[in-house]
Amino acid sequence: MTIYKVSYVVIGMDHPGGIANLDHKPYVGEQVRLSDLTLEILEVLEIMPARGGFHYYHVTCQPLPTEISSDGSHQPSS
Amino acid sequence: MDLKDFLRKVELFDGLTETELEKVAAICEERRFHRGDLLTKQGTPGEELFIVTKGFVEVFLEAPQRVVVNLGAGQIVGEMALVDQGLSSATVRAVEEPTITQGIHFEQFEQLFQQDASIGFKIIRNIAADLSFKLRHRNLSER
Repeated sequence: MTIYKVSYVVIGMDHPGGIANLDHKPYVGEQVRLSDLTLEILEVLEIMPARGGFHYYHVTCQPLPTEISSDGSHQPSS
Repeated sequence: MDLKDFLRKVELFDGLTETELEKVAAICEERRFHRGDLLTKQGTPGEELFIVTKGFVEVFLEAPQRVVVNLGAGQIVGEMALVDQGLSSATVRAVEEPTITQGIHFEQFEQLFQQDASIGFKIIRNIAADLSFKLRHRNLSER
């Protein structure tokens, strides 16, 4: 059993990011849901050595263009 | 998914044996929240540790209000109050419909730790690792 604990940092908008477990290693170009936001992963880094079955990753991501209005604010999906 | 199978995928319980996981599962209580429901309120006594099973919660600070992090599947809420017995350091609100958690009352955790020091050691060590990860996340988000 391998679990990937991922720290998400969102660029391009004012958003605190998040932390969630995945059952696969995140990869560049992957689209992920973070709360009510869909994001595309731009960068993946391992931030701590694996411990037991847990791997620790940091990803940088940006919202999909459809998630941002012209004034730069977030448009929650319905 | 079987509760024990889920708990096995939560870092908080990393290293626990099958027997120890069964003891933890016995004190878990499923809680369902609607979007906007509060799990904890900043400044009030914490009573329960929550493990997010499904959905997302947002952790926010009052005055001025700002969200500091969103936590999804496998993440824990309420661990600071469990460790230092202080008041809840933030308000936590469900942001997905539904958000489902497993909750464990602090008193039951304490009883379990007293009965089985091995479980207590592993869980407290894992809480330290989780706090470390959250701090790393915060450092990275503020770059």
